[in-house]
Order: sequence, then structure tokens, then C-alpha cells
Amino acid sequence: MFNKILVANRGEIAIRIMRACKELGIQTVAVYSDADKNSLHVQHADEAIHIGAASPKESYLNADVVIRAALTSKADAIHPGYGFLSENASFAAAVESAQLTFIGPSADSIHAMGDKAESKIRMKQAGVPTVPGYEGLETEADYEQAARAIGYPILVKASAGGGGKGMRIVWEPDGLPEEIEAARREAVHAFGDDRLLIEKYLPNAHHIEFQIFGDQHGHLVHLFERECSVQRRHQKIIEETPSPLLTPELRKQMGEAAVKASKAVNYYNAGTIEFIFDPLLSTFYFLEMNTRLQVEHPVTELTTGLDLVQWQIRVAAGEHFPYQQDQLTQRGHAIECRVYAEDPSNGFLPSTGKLLQYIEPKGPGIRVDSGFAVGNEVTHFYDPLLAKLIVYSENREAAIQKMQAALKDFIVHGVVTNIDFMQSVLAHADFVNGKVTTRWVETTLDSGSLLPENRQQAVGLQSLISAALADLVIVNRQSSIVNPNVPDPYSPWKNPNGFRN
Amino acid sequence: MKITFDEIIIDLTPQGKSFRATIEDQTFEVEIVRADAERGRLDLRLIRLSDSQSVPESVFTAYVSSDGAKRWVTINGQTVVLTKSSGVQRKGSGQDHGSGLAAPMPGLVRSVNVVEDEPVVKGQTLMLLEAMKMEIRIQAKSDGVVKKLLVKQGQTVERDQVLIEIE
Repeated sequence: MFNKILVANRGEIAIRIMRACKELGIQTVAVYSDADKNSLHVQHADEAIHIGAASPKESYLNADVVIRAALTSKADAIHPGYGFLSENASFAAAVESAQLTFIGPSADSIHAMGDKAESKIRMKQAGVPTVPGYEGLETEADYEQAARAIGYPILVKASAGGGGKGMRIVWEPDGLPEEIEAARREAVHAFGDDRLLIEKYLPNAHHIEFQIFGDQHGHLVHLFERECSVQRRHQKIIEETPSPLLTPELRKQMGEAAVKASKAVNYYNAGTIEFIFDPLLSTFYFLEMNTRLQVEHPVTELTTGLDLVQWQIRVAAGEHFPYQQDQLTQRGHAIECRVYAEDPSNGFLPSTGKLLQYIEPKGPGIRVDSGFAVGNEVTHFYDPLLAKLIVYSENREAAIQKMQAALKDFIVHGVVTNIDFMQSVLAHADFVNGKVTTRWVETTLDSGSLLPENRQQAVGLQSLISAALADLVIVNRQSSIVNPNVPDPYSPWKNPNGFRN
Repeated sequence: MKITFDEIIIDLTPQGKSFRATIEDQTFEVEIVRADAERGRLDLRLIRLSDSQSVPESVFTAYVSSDGAKRWVTINGQTVVLTKSSGVQRKGSGQDHGSGLAAPMPGLVRSVNVVEDEPVVKGQTLMLLEAMKMEIRIQAKSDGVVKKLLVKQGQTVERDQVLIEIE
């Protein structure tokens, strides 16, 4: 087993990994940028090393500096978390060349799956169903012809992409040139690689993914599905397991396909096979593989009883993963809500500023993975994820109720969050009935049926009185302006004057 | 004592253990059940006096944080932001940029696609901003001519900073 692990990440996931290390009796090293000097992940580590400026390229994405920090601190392994360097095959290779262990799959597996075009070709060869589409196109005419052949709407994606970046939906031929140009720019900027692929866009599909896990001795299983269809900007905001859509038969088929896909690239450690699921035909297609720990891994941990991060470390150290497929079961229901510093009424754009108040919910079956505390600054340099709120209960209905109660107890002041918005989603009949598709947020927002109802009235009145009373009876702790945030005053989400109507 | 939030005047008068609050034509009796200054938490009991038919009494918890003139208030999981003012202000004056287009969030100007005096059409992408690796298009809201470019490529901009003026 390792003596010391460097965690090449920040925020909630760095803390999550450090907790697993502590439980296993392993020392931890944090790395941090100029912007993260006072961040919580630094305080959780046994030691911390400064690695550069706030911009990710100059710190968390700088492979050389991260590896040097590991060598200096005499760490024997690096855990990359998610994002940043986690799916960078040359980083994984460089870690191994430096006589350190990369906690994750082999560089070859990352490379094979990291490229969306190449991975699609590999999956077709392995007999895993993929979305109809084309890879390796060059001229504008090629794209136009391919798009026509597939039929609109189509999806343009960066080959090297991930996290919704460099991804564009094109509904009509007219929009194709501009969207290709935009996707290419984003791709170059985010990944330094302008290759794109196009495929059929399935507007009413669900996003269902399978957690897989393998050791370095050829043993690999799946740990069931996660339903991740509640998305905005192609990024997930609510995930749950089990999926309300899957029958035991479908679950078995998709699980077997996920195992087959992973074995095709000799995968080991934690990974996720993402599928697009068409609920009308009950068909599924391989979308991509994430060759790392996933943001939403906690819902799988709660329903399988496994600690995925501990197992990542243990199999990286060479241990056998002891469970056979038929020994693994799902129990109960888990839901995760990603609490983002973003404004749903302003196109989900991130909101930055200092946290004036930050209170997390507590209680049985409630887990909060977070990287922030009161007084911390949410900056525009990094992902605006404040915390992951995860609940576990005996069935889906009870889990939804627990989540609704927990969200009410989550208090964040200083940045605008999506908490109110997630409440509206959880209360919506489509969510309750498991009918949310990946485009649901966009279309439902447009139709206006996600707007808060009359309860706004009472809140408006109560908030005015509370604010006035607070000025009288509570000593003003912050008298100076610390945040430039002004949520859109015309937004129906934030209207305090509703009682007048 | 009169306090104004978002143009609405709240008149608070201490009355023994509680307060009488008047907002426009409605009057309430407010009792502070508990106050926790450290957490900015108030537990309140509210009784409507002027209209006995609706909301006879409500008991609720409010979390209040202040930031300059702004108050963040969370009640029953819903958060609103109120702005305190001394007089009556025209609503949204800070948001009105006239013919100018403003940055929806802080970020970096990645490209400027037009020059001054250039005619533009509604929906045309005039500029690209980048924040948190996302590309944000600044598009013309109507047909017109670029009167003034107020930012350059590579420049960092704040939220609500005016980027370009269209005539």
C-alpha cells in the first residue's frame, strides 16, 4: 500500500479523496494555485504545495509542476480526481515514467477512450451499439453531406472533448457552418485539438451510464446504472440510481455491454460507460467512456455499499477486487443534486463572489461532499460546483422527499445558486414520473412551467419584514460591499414583490 | 423607523416584546421568537392585522446576510436578494444600458468581430466572451450601426460592464 498520495485536484473531490486516504492510513499532499491559498482542500491535507497562478493552465493543468510536487513531497502515487489532468493519457504516462503510480486506468486505456472518434471506432469493432454518425471529416462540404446522410438534428462534438465543451446541436442545415466553427474554436481552446465528429442527435433520449470497476488482474464488473438526464448546457445537475426506466432485463443487457466495452480497452480501476437511451424503442447506444472517477460516484457508493475511492487506491496498489458480478446488488435509492453557483434565470451563467453564509443540511441519509465554507471566494477560474448533496432512502419516492427537505436546509448567500431551480425540478410531475430527457430542462424552461408558483407571494412579504428586522436587531457583520452580484431584478425566480400581484 | 427595500417602504415600530410592521396598506404584528446573530437567523411569528381573512398567522425561519446595501434572505429554502435604499429609486436603473450591450458575467473578451461604424443586423455575433471555459456570444439585439467599441480583445471585463454601443 502507498505511504503518501498527492491529490492533483481542488474543491470537493480533492477533499473526498483525502478522506479516503486518511481512512486507509495514507498521508496526503494537496496542490494549490494562487486563488486557492485559503481553500478547504489545502486545510484537509497533511501537507500542501503551491503550484502556480490561478489560471488552470498555469497550475492544475500543468503536468510537469504537479509531478515535480509529488517527487518533492516523496509521494508514491497521484490521484487526479475528475477534470483537469484526470483523462490526460500523456500525464498518466509521465506519472508512471517518474516512478510514481497513477491512480486510475492505464495511459493506453485513457488514450483509446479519450478520443471520442477513436473510441467510437473501437466500440463498433467490439460489437457495442453506437450512435449513427461520422468521424474524421474535413471540409465543410464533407460535414454538410454527412449531416444530410444522418438527418437533422445532429450533434457536433469535439473529438478530444468532454463536459459539454465543444459540443453543439444543429437543427437545420443553415446553422451548420457557424456551429462547426464555434465547436472548433471551443475545442481548440479547451483541449488544444480541433478535430470534430458528428452524429445523430436524439432529442428525447435519456442519459444512462454504468459504473464499471476492475482490478489489474483482469477482473472487471459493473456497479449498475446512474440516470443522469437532468442536464443544462449538456452538463448534469441531478443524478440518481436506480434509473426509474430500466427493467431488470435491460439493466442486465446494458451492464453486459458496459463490461464488454471496458474489456475492449483492457480497462482497470473506476470508469463509466455512458449510454444514450431511447425510451420509446428501449434501445441504447454507447456515447463515451469517462476514464476516471465520476462526479456522481456517491449515488453508486450509497446503493452498493462500496467505497469507490478507497477501492481505486487499493486496486492501484495491486490488490484484487474481491466481488463477483453476482455478489453485487443495488439496495434502496440515492439521488445527487449538484449545487452550483449559477443563476438559472440568467442562462445558468456562473455567479462569483464571497460566501456570506453557507450552511449545509444534516440528518440521516444525507451526505454533502463540498469544498467551500463561509468566507470562501467563488472565483471565475474554476468550475462553479459548490457542493454535491446526496440523499439515500429506501425507495425513490422517499429519496425525493428527503432531497426536497434537505435542499430547504441548504443556505447559501453571496452567490446565486440553482437550489430553488432544483426544487422546481424535483416537484415537477415529469421528474416524479421519470420522464425527464436530456433536453427537458431547456424545453420546460421555455414553456414556463418550471416557474415558481404563488408561494412566492408569502416569501416576498416575509423576506421584506425579515430583512428590515434583521437590520434592527442583528448587528451588521459585514458593512462593506464584498460582492458585485446583482441577480436579474426582472427575473420571476427572484421577485420579492410578488405579493403585490 | 422606516426602511426601504427594492422601493418598498417597511415601517417598523417596537411594541412591547414585538414589532408592528406596515408595508404599504398592510399591517402586521411581528414577534421575534428567537434571534441568532452569529448565523444571521431569525425565527419570526407574523400576524396580519389589517386583513383577517388571509394568512392569519405564520411562523417561519429567515436567514439574512448583508453585503453593503444588499440583503440575502432565505425563507423555507427560497432565497431572494433585496436592495436597501434611502430614497425611492427608479427600478432597475443599474441594469439599463440604453443602446449598449453589457457583459452577462465576468470574463475575458476573446474576440471582437466588428469595427466602429460597421452596420450590424439583429442576432449577429458581435463579440465572444469567455468565462469558466465557456463561450458566451454577445449578439446585436436589433439592426443598427456600431457606435462605439468599449473593450478590446484580451481584456478582462466585469459583470454588467458595457462592451459595445449600437445606434
